[in-house]
Amino acid sequence: MTNVLRSAARIPPAYIVFVILLATLWLTKPQLMNANVMGIFVRQVAPLGILVLGQLLVMRVRSIDLSGAGVLLLVNYMIASGLLGDLPLPLILLVSLGIGCLVGLFNGYLVAKRRVSAVIATLAVTVIIGGFVQFVASGKPPGNMPELMNDIYKMKWGPVPLPVVLWVALTAVMAVFLSRFVYGQFVMAVGENPTASHFSGVPVERTVLMAHVIAGLFAGIAAIVQSAAVAVGSLRLGLEMPIDAVAATILGGVIFGRGDGGVWGPFFGVMCFALLFVSMTSFGVPEPGKQIARGLIILLAAIFYGLNTRKT
Amino acid sequence: MLPAVTFKGVTKHFGPTLAVNDISFEIRPGRVHALMGENGAGKSTLMKILAGVHQPDAGKIAIAGRQVCFANPSQALAAGVSTVFQELSLLPNLSITENMFLGKEIMGRFGSPHRAEMAQRTKEALSELGMSLDPNTLVSELSIAQRQFVEIAHGIKADAQVFILDEPTAALNAADVQVLNARIEKLKAKGKAIVYISHRMDEIFAICDDVTIMKDGAHVATQSLSDLTPERLITLMVGRELNDLFPDRARDLGPVRLSCQDLRLTPEASPLSFDLHSGEILGLAGLEGQGQSEIVRSMIGQYAANSGKVRIGSQTVLLPVTASAGVRNMQQLSLGFVPEDRKEEGLLLGAAIRENIGIGLQSARPGFKPLAKVADVTRRIMADLNIKAGSSTTPVGTLSGGNQQKVLLGRYLASDMDILIIEEPTRGVDIGAKVEIYRLLRELAQRGMAILVLSRETVELIGLCDRLLVVHDRKIVSELAGAEASEHNILNAALTS
Amino acid sequence: MHRRKINRFFGKNSRQGNWWAALLIIIATILLLLVKSDDFATPQNASNLLAQAMPLIIVAIGQMIVIILAGMDLSVGSVMSLTTAILALDGSPYALIPLVFLAAICVGLVNGVAIVKLNVHPIIATLSTQFIVLGIAQLLRPVAGGSVPDFVVTIVTGSVLGVPAPVFWGIVIVGLGWKIVHGSRFGLHLFAIGGGNASGQLDTAHNFGLKDERNIVLAYVISAGFAALAGLFIAGRIASGDPSVGSQFALDSITAVAIGGTQLSGGVGGLHGTIIGAILMSLLANGMNLANLSAFLQGAIKGVILLLVVGLQSRKKMGL
Repeated sequence: MTNVLRSAARIPPAYIVFVILLATLWLTKPQLMNANVMGIFVRQVAPLGILVLGQLLVMRVRSIDLSGAGVLLLVNYMIASGLLGDLPLPLILLVSLGIGCLVGLFNGYLVAKRRVSAVIATLAVTVIIGGFVQFVASGKPPGNMPELMNDIYKMKWGPVPLPVVLWVALTAVMAVFLSRFVYGQFVMAVGENPTASHFSGVPVERTVLMAHVIAGLFAGIAAIVQSAAVAVGSLRLGLEMPIDAVAATILGGVIFGRGDGGVWGPFFGVMCFALLFVSMTSFGVPEPGKQIARGLIILLAAIFYGLNTRKT
Repeated sequence: MLPAVTFKGVTKHFGPTLAVNDISFEIRPGRVHALMGENGAGKSTLMKILAGVHQPDAGKIAIAGRQVCFANPSQALAAGVSTVFQELSLLPNLSITENMFLGKEIMGRFGSPHRAEMAQRTKEALSELGMSLDPNTLVSELSIAQRQFVEIAHGIKADAQVFILDEPTAALNAADVQVLNARIEKLKAKGKAIVYISHRMDEIFAICDDVTIMKDGAHVATQSLSDLTPERLITLMVGRELNDLFPDRARDLGPVRLSCQDLRLTPEASPLSFDLHSGEILGLAGLEGQGQSEIVRSMIGQYAANSGKVRIGSQTVLLPVTASAGVRNMQQLSLGFVPEDRKEEGLLLGAAIRENIGIGLQSARPGFKPLAKVADVTRRIMADLNIKAGSSTTPVGTLSGGNQQKVLLGRYLASDMDILIIEEPTRGVDIGAKVEIYRLLRELAQRGMAILVLSRETVELIGLCDRLLVVHDRKIVSELAGAEASEHNILNAALTS
Repeated sequence: MHRRKINRFFGKNSRQGNWWAALLIIIATILLLLVKSDDFATPQNASNLLAQAMPLIIVAIGQMIVIILAGMDLSVGSVMSLTTAILALDGSPYALIPLVFLAAICVGLVNGVAIVKLNVHPIIATLSTQFIVLGIAQLLRPVAGGSVPDFVVTIVTGSVLGVPAPVFWGIVIVGLGWKIVHGSRFGLHLFAIGGGNASGQLDTAHNFGLKDERNIVLAYVISAGFAALAGLFIAGRIASGDPSVGSQFALDSITAVAIGGTQLSGGVGGLHGTIIGAILMSLLANGMNLANLSAFLQGAIKGVILLLVVGLQSRKKMGL
């Protein structure tokens, strides 16, 4: 019995929450349950899902990245404002990814080398980027995204929207990278015990630094997809997306060192958010309700794991 | 007259190890009672039980005839047991006064701490020990010896009946010890009982009245010191037959694999040098905390030595090395370091056996490469080392201490190191696993590996090693062949240096 | 001995941390503003400056208390927003003001209990309550508006015998902060628990018989209480409720505390350093306003200052 309970406690809450939400929706709003509607809702969270891939990596090495909001804003502004002139689209996208990596590198330097608290460092980076972009834009939203981006965003592969395909593909790549490559073992080891990892020869600082660079890269990709989705430039700097990423990751069973959920746990954490947004929208829950839900999810999931780790 | 402290059948386990085994004796008031025994004999554990840090698994303790049971040190203090611990337990960011009165501050008007009053009393307590420190000095600014004195002042200021002094003189010089002794005499005259733990023979005979000798957690004898000579005392402390736990020693040594040259741990320390040969097991012996661990840890950058160099093959590593690169550099030179603290520094407890054994192999590869194949090597090592576990995916944290230690050693076997430095190869491991580990280390040496071992258990070093270096006060004071070494002559070499 | 004094002056081996640097920058800034700006030395600006600095000083003192414990409170800004939202409800000030502090105590208790009893990292616990409390504030008052009781406006903007109210606020707050941090057993134990945390001797404070868990919970309650006081002050100044009013204060208060020499790893810090830090931050904001610097750029500059100050503190632990 205790064994059953113990293994139940190791199932990431995301799966359970996902089933509950799905059942609730099925019973209360059956008209939403068709491939087209669901496809649109899932497409909405694709940028979040991609951001989560980076978040879960940094959280597995006991760090955190809240700078995704800054990368989103910067990339969006850069593309929409035509700052890069007439560069071909692939080059613009490449520059966007480079920006993500650079921000990640800076975060990683602060966290791994300077040992700055990861929350403080990445929040400060967000604040700096946000202030800078809004200053350069002098508070006015820039122009529109290239139409091609929104067109691609709306394409489908069979019944599945293209952004969702990208999200699933990246998740699969990440899963293979973490389970089949040396770096994945480094991440596992550092998350498990940084001191013991150091003594067994794992390059701890480099592993954490790389995790932040990769997280920055995913933030860059998420920013491109998100920009394609909204189709216009925006100057709104919201912390929601990185916070949702943290919540989805914790929901998916990854929390500061512990990685029970692997890559697919957080994937379903994001799917929960998709359903949650649908439910809240269809039940008419206002924006503040969503804020409270975000906070509660993080708190409850953290308590769930806090109690779990204390027992062992 | 009632005894100040009565131990009756006190027993304490830490996991599988029996740290204190059915101890019974009495401590009388108005006497200084020495507690003697080798490293790991259980003295400190017994005193921590008396001080309320640990709780006994079985047995009773009575203070002045009244049976007691302490949940924490402050309860023990309230019952009249005051302790000066071996490890420093002062908070560096507080002043001397604040440390002295922490948790029992004197409060003044309006609920504010009465700082002047506390400072005054601290000054008095310090001056009784002949110290004229400003009581408002932060502890972080004090030297080690000064901290030790503050710790002593903290311990003996209390209005207690029993005082435990666990190696109070480790950092003190002869003049300081005189001051302390005078203070102890005063306490004694007031009818207090004092428990005194020290490795310095001369001190024991200078100020102690009674002695209790412990060995392997068990009680050996309690008697008056006046009936004993230092030689007799040392014999009582050791007096164990070497049994046949240990495999044969090496016949002949190979070439020098590692050469440590002119290592100075601190700027003032005199340089030390030694060679480690292929095929030999070399041990660093001596009393606890004399620099053995600093010597080996300076090689992987975990201790910042002042200067020195380590030659491995044709490579020379200059000390000190940086902490971040130390371990990896040494692994590239085929030197593996097996840390003492298996749970904090050694193993990834939540990870599988396979991952724990494989991580050494993986960390020799760049991160973007596919994983090294470890399934076969894990299977081989689990069979060779007789690691008992469900499968290679069992989390290491669920294994017994002995199997955990074997997994840790297995990691370095998998990486095929030429040199192994092992801290405490059998800490917290039962006797069966100990024998297996000894045999394994010997086999590795026979295959040409060079092994450097550190252990608190002198018997283990004597039985296992081909050569022993006795370390005392950050120097190598003696070199003994394993076959000639005995606990007696190691203790002698250390204590008379 | 001489060297020791010099070291202590530079914040090395001092329990107050390095606060003199912030003080020097304050003096330099004041001198610069005196020379460069005609508007700076007016009584109007001085009074403004004090009123602007006051909320940050108040929050920063609460923030410092948890930081000395090696914790952190990211929920203070949301508590401030919630406070203004509650005060802008319809009702008597004698009901609303106790309600404000009751809400703050609840937030502090949730933070503290989650950290101590439920084993949640302080940053994660307060990060989540930051969102929960902000959500509640937005529910009560979705956009800025409403009006707070006159009583609240009076105690913040009024004056007694020509002395503006913020001066009294300052005296009371500083006295309260001093009492808690430097004039009580609780304050001393804060340093002991935080110092044990910072030097890796987690059990030391416990072995001395200190009630560490109770003290930690109390510290988060106090931090939330100070945030509520700051919210009360702001509500009096803007005379309405605004759910976004506190958004900057979590990071600003951490910056102010850190710039005043308090170590984020715990055990080192002091009231005067924190006050100096908060004044410095407000002075910089004032100076940047007088220099007509864009508000956006000011935000970025504050972020850079935070990174510099925190980046220069050394810490052993990597991660959160």
